[in-house]
Amino acid sequence: MIALETVTIGVGGRTLVRDISARIGAGEFVAVLGPNGVGKTTLMRALGGLRPALAGNIKLGDVPLRSLAATERARAIAFVTSDEAMLETLRVRDVVAIGRYPHHPWWEWGETVADDAAIESALRAVRLEGEERRLLTTLSSGERQRVWIAMGLAQATPVLLLDEPTAHLDVRVAHEILSLLRTLADDGRTVVCVLHDLNDAAAYADRLMLLGCERMLAYDVPDRVLRPDLIERAYGIAVTRVETSDGPRVFAAVNSAAVGSPSR
Amino acid sequence: MKAWRLPAILVCALLACGASLLAGGSAIMPAAIASALLHPHAQNDVTTIVWQLRMPRVAIAAVVGAALAIGGALLQGMLRNPLVDPYLTGVSAGAAAAIALAVLAGVAVPILPALGFVAGLLTALLVAALARRGSGVDPNRLILAGISISALFSAIVAFAIARSNSLGAAQSILAWLAGSMAGRGWHDLVFAAPYLVAGTLLALLAAPALDALRVGDVRARAVGVDVDRAQWLILASTSLLAAAGVALAGMVGFVGLIVPHVARRLVGSSARLLLPACALCGAALCAMADAIARSVVAPSELPIGVLLAFIGVPAFLYLYLQQERPA
Repeated sequence: MIALETVTIGVGGRTLVRDISARIGAGEFVAVLGPNGVGKTTLMRALGGLRPALAGNIKLGDVPLRSLAATERARAIAFVTSDEAMLETLRVRDVVAIGRYPHHPWWEWGETVADDAAIESALRAVRLEGEERRLLTTLSSGERQRVWIAMGLAQATPVLLLDEPTAHLDVRVAHEILSLLRTLADDGRTVVCVLHDLNDAAAYADRLMLLGCERMLAYDVPDRVLRPDLIERAYGIAVTRVETSDGPRVFAAVNSAAVGSPSR
Repeated sequence: MKAWRLPAILVCALLACGASLLAGGSAIMPAAIASALLHPHAQNDVTTIVWQLRMPRVAIAAVVGAALAIGGALLQGMLRNPLVDPYLTGVSAGAAAAIALAVLAGVAVPILPALGFVAGLLTALLVAALARRGSGVDPNRLILAGISISALFSAIVAFAIARSNSLGAAQSILAWLAGSMAGRGWHDLVFAAPYLVAGTLLALLAAPALDALRVGDVRARAVGVDVDRAQWLILASTSLLAAAGVALAGMVGFVGLIVPHVARRLVGSSARLLLPACALCGAALCAMADAIARSVVAPSELPIGVLLAFIGVPAFLYLYLQQERPA
């Protein structure tokens, strides 16, 4: 569904990751991993068509992403991010309704029956039905994260990209969000999201994309990516791998001597 | 959804405009005004007063209020900042400086509105050029450029007042700064109409993107908004509306800041309801304020800008503190 062909990404004239080649299939849940500043967000924005790649091609099916008009692209790919400020008077439903923007010609201002259905369905999916009238400022971090996801779902796209959807969330809410994303992938959506917790990523995603040292170090099933040597290379920290009934898990070494720099 | 409130706001705005027709130096009964409205070609004093003096005043007040409120809602949404108003574009400061210098130079009074309009738009272009980043507008740069340029032009106004030799010149400048529609007529409205229409059309073009812009540029792009285009449309629309308002009534403060907050409380944040509600609330507020300005010290007048500050600031603080209060 999404194909990256020797894609190089960067920001502000600086190259972050070179020559990424990968295919992400329909209905797949891919977690993008890597240390801070490695280029995960930049990659997600390139995948979402919000920032051009420095080199290479990103294709949606057989169509180069850059050849799509903005609204065409937005009918195919939703991008969910949790940063940026907003005005205080926004209510849950107002925000979710914004996801319907690409489904309207510019002269059509009113909400259609299809809009209503998509908004209701998105709110149900994130378990926020009945909360439509609440102000965003009165929501918890987890609820607010669910609102942003609902806005992406209201876009009704086959592809959902999420930049750190579990940032700042407690362990229970984080797992609720990841379970939701897993369900969405099981229902046929392609889900690509940036995660920081390696074990969460291994538990929920079909494949992990590990970035580090200005390249894609691995793109494979969790069992083949959660290798201590790869993790140490990416993050510059020694880890221990433990096999559990739910699959492999890794734990960082706690003595500071084990902390180095990511190798090149 | 609070769409049902729009017709109610429309009725209130019409009532406010109607009430504003009653205010003035001559006491005219409502029935006589209604008769004059129904028979515009009748040859009597009441018809002349209603159609040549009061109607243009009310129409100008309503149009200025609507234009400033729409401009305020657009800029607040685009910049995600509830404290900005249309004058952030530099329009009023540029117009004020040009008019102050023109008064100092002895330029004829009838030319001043047009001069203010042109200077206001030129200043808006300068602010926009300073705020430009890449192909779009940087919200922080816009705020900084707007505030800086406005401060510079305010200093020019202060300089002009300090250097004016006659009390009359200083009073002319101050009267303009305080906002007034005294002496305005249909011909002024005809002059400003093309710019008001153009500004409103641009606002309509930008409106669908406004909701998305409020949740951030990245999210707006992600749902398919051409953010750069929407920003330029909003800036052009706000500049035209504010410049037309300035040409018609001088500096009428607070409307562009307060009315969008009031309208949001009445109909919510969705642009398709917010912009019409802003237009109606702004029209009602300015029409009423102008009526009071004409009545309280008749036959002379209070500056509408001063009056709006007296009414607007406590109202704004009340609304804001109410909003902050936990439910």
